[in-house]
Amino acid sequence: MPRIAGNDVPDRKKILYALQYIHGIGPKFAADLLAEAQIDGDVRANELTEQQIAQINQIIDTNYIVEGGLRRQVQQNIQRLRDIRAYRGERHRRGLPVHGQRTRCNARTRKGRKKTVAGKKGVKG
Amino acid sequence: MGRSLKKGPFVDEKLYRKVEKQSEGGRRTPIKTWARACTIVPEFVGHTFQVHNGRVFMDVFITEDMVGHKLGEFSATRTFRGHTNKKEGIRSGR
Repeated sequence: MPRIAGNDVPDRKKILYALQYIHGIGPKFAADLLAEAQIDGDVRANELTEQQIAQINQIIDTNYIVEGGLRRQVQQNIQRLRDIRAYRGERHRRGLPVHGQRTRCNARTRKGRKKTVAGKKGVKG
Repeated sequence: MGRSLKKGPFVDEKLYRKVEKQSEGGRRTPIKTWARACTIVPEFVGHTFQVHNGRVFMDVFITEDMVGHKLGEFSATRTFRGHTNKKEGIRSGR
């Protein structure tokens, strides 16, 4: 199992798709990366030479922020919004949608499972 | 959609002039404003604004981190203190 930027990357998939298992690398970055390293995207991940893996690692290290570093960066951005008490930070703090979506109904991804309130319209008993 | 770069950020002219005047004079009193849509530019840092939220003016002290945001983002227009508690009939939390 090749180790690229952490431990990820499944063995038997084409390297173009295997790379996308890394947090922070999607279709575009994977293609860009392979073009820069001049590696054929159709090669299976376990067929890469040590050298090629090292090369990919090096390109990721220099050009991309992935995995833990990326997660930290996202968290920091959110933390900044909270610290300056911006509206968006407030929404993050309350666990409500941030981009102005309706909350009268839906918004379940942010709000979590329904909390049933007795006596409310549509609820029996 | 973002704003066209050609135009640059929206800054309320009158407000900007007031800030400049204060910076020169050195005395910094809170500036009352209704210009919630005005982008915070670096010159605003260290000033205090009183941003209208439709009802009252909220004090907003500008720090460096706030640059690039709008004044209105720091003056909430809604107050929600939680739903009423059916049994006790009062609002929980505060």
